[in-house]
Amino acid sequence: MKNNLILYIGILIFGIAAPFVFPAFKVQLSILCVLIILATTWNIQGGEMGYNSFGNILFYGLGMYLCASVQVGMFFPLAEWTESGGEKTFVHTPTQFFQGMAVGLIVAAVVPTIVAGLIGYSILGLRGHYFAICTLGLGVAAGEISGGIEIIGAGQGFTTPPFPDVGSLDSRGEFFYFLSFFTLVLTFIAVRSIYSTRFKLILNAIRDNEDKAEAMGIETMKYKIIGWMISAFFCGLAGGIMGGLVGYIDSTDVAFDGREMGVFMVLMAILGGKGTLWGPIIGATVFHIFKEGFWTFFLGWQYVALGVLIVVIVIYFPEGIMGWLREKYPERFGEVVDEADRKAQVELK
Amino acid sequence: MKLSKIILSFVSALVILFSTSVVSFAKVVGDKIILGAAISLTGKYSSNGVHTQNGYNMAVDRINSMGGVKVGGKTYKFDIIYYDDESNPKRAAQLAERLISQDGVEFMLGPYSSGLTKAIAPVTEKYGVPMVEANGASRSLFTKGYKYLFAVLAPANLYLDVAIDLAVEKNNGKGVTVAMAFEQDAFSQDVRLGVLDAIKRTGSKKVIDDKLPKELNDMAATLVKVKQMKPDVLVVSGHTKGALTAIRQISEMKVDVPMLAMTHCDAAKLSKQHGKNSQYALCASQWHKTLTYKDDFFKDGMTYDADFTKEFGYAPPYQAAESSAALLVFKDAFERADSFDQKKVRDALAATNMQTFYGNIKFAPGGQNVDKPMVLFQVMCDDGGKCENKVVAPTKWASAKLIHPIPSWSER
Repeated sequence: MKNNLILYIGILIFGIAAPFVFPAFKVQLSILCVLIILATTWNIQGGEMGYNSFGNILFYGLGMYLCASVQVGMFFPLAEWTESGGEKTFVHTPTQFFQGMAVGLIVAAVVPTIVAGLIGYSILGLRGHYFAICTLGLGVAAGEISGGIEIIGAGQGFTTPPFPDVGSLDSRGEFFYFLSFFTLVLTFIAVRSIYSTRFKLILNAIRDNEDKAEAMGIETMKYKIIGWMISAFFCGLAGGIMGGLVGYIDSTDVAFDGREMGVFMVLMAILGGKGTLWGPIIGATVFHIFKEGFWTFFLGWQYVALGVLIVVIVIYFPEGIMGWLREKYPERFGEVVDEADRKAQVELK
Repeated sequence: MKLSKIILSFVSALVILFSTSVVSFAKVVGDKIILGAAISLTGKYSSNGVHTQNGYNMAVDRINSMGGVKVGGKTYKFDIIYYDDESNPKRAAQLAERLISQDGVEFMLGPYSSGLTKAIAPVTEKYGVPMVEANGASRSLFTKGYKYLFAVLAPANLYLDVAIDLAVEKNNGKGVTVAMAFEQDAFSQDVRLGVLDAIKRTGSKKVIDDKLPKELNDMAATLVKVKQMKPDVLVVSGHTKGALTAIRQISEMKVDVPMLAMTHCDAAKLSKQHGKNSQYALCASQWHKTLTYKDDFFKDGMTYDADFTKEFGYAPPYQAAESSAALLVFKDAFERADSFDQKKVRDALAATNMQTFYGNIKFAPGGQNVDKPMVLFQVMCDDGGKCENKVVAPTKWASAKLIHPIPSWSER
């Protein structure tokens, strides 16, 4: 426990100091935080509950559009803002910007949660591959639909409010970094405390044998929906932050980006080891570093390199980095191993 | 818990990795002026991204070999740092940030497409980095009050409104019926707005107004409607893929329409890929080799065309020409500013008033080029099946007469 505390404080200090120690990497670090949030929350239903969802991108995109729309709509007519031919230029004052962002983020978290509840109620009856395929459609549909809604810019895209002129040039990067970092901390605390309750055991029971769980008197549907709603809450927040960070929302390429973000969040969780608290965090970090590295050193080949990485993960680390570590050093995970027993098992194999 | 040890060592490894990978360039190293550009080398805009890159490279080589840029009595050469934005706005914004804050680039060249330019512009604006872009035509780029964005091209809403005017003129000044099919992206939707304005202005009527998905591969549903409604004009815009898809399916389905107006015909090498099937298509273009503009570096359009073809093995579409022009603009601005101060260069850019092989360049306060009209060309084929793009409007540049209406498929 003491060791853990040191670890947490260490990471917290690292997180707070990071933008000052590596000022050039603020954007990458902010994106890393968002990626970790997405992977960690995907893990709630994908890893702990065993429901592989490709649909979390729906909440992420929804959060992105909602946050930006609220931020603009609170002070200016939204339709005029997004209308491409508009001759008017609106500028947020710093107060307006931050107020709008705050309210926007709240909306960006709450609405996707409700949507997750409604959709979850109707589709969480599906299991296994059927659920995965169904959720795959959600993101695609959302992308196409939002691309046709004029008030949020349709195919023209939506330029989010530019960051107001406060202090130095670095203030934007610092603002978004700390926003995403503290959202990450919040997410981590929330997920960690959820994982220490009976709720996690129920999720695991659903994953391991849903029928048996039901037979034991657990209302599985209720917990499945709640699990997904928790994911949606944080995905929405992450989307809202990302929208402001990128500065431009496009329906299929930025918001409902199922082809990239939607797949990446699954990949990161699997890379790190799904069904663990730290797995998605490690997975997201490793993935992000690899990706940035590929982009720099394999220009034009980055997706080939990424493809190779995925193949390697699937073949050599089917249980993810955490799973691999656990197998190699079970003692470090607090598991008591009887050497004789282990040897016997190896021989049996 | 020993697990924490693993994670601790992991975190420290991360720290080391980050701290060793900070490599910083300056904007001007030795005798080099380093420009940054995020280009779509992969993804849906990759073919146009390559045209853009070839255009940039061609101009860099040419300017460097012809004496470079003279600033403060010293001669400098251009160099460009490229990144691949994967045709993704999110990635493009990230790369702009990276070029500026990590690579220390102080002057940028634009990416390909309006959407990506829209994503990058807020970043360059924030850092006060002058960006000359050659491939972001969306009107909304120029109404945001950006001070550091300069586009050498005419805005997207001017692409095809001329076609509507032409059709009305051929209809003895009476309004025409227009069928529209536009991809859902920033550029095409802006072209659509321009066409809508023209429809309103000329008292025409829109009969079909379809939005097509990105990475356009099929527009049969729209074409079925066109067959039924028989509009006077069919307008299609969806980058290179849109142009290719339209011609392929129009010829397959034998859709007869008196006028077919499109964008991106030359980038899609329509006349080469589809030969006679693409005949009579009317295309909006920022540039055509037969235009008689001149400059010291590329001489004129015909010479540029020949030199480009020699170097890259295909005829330059306007996307390449305008990209080359962007560097000429930068060179001119650096020399007039006689400094590498971003503000001074920006002011020099704003005061640009020059002629290049690609056209006249003069920026409005919004950053768009107001001194260069669009041209329309029509794909025309001889009996041997050899097709060529010939300028038909505006009349000042026309090298051929517009063929209107398009003969029906049964007569071809």
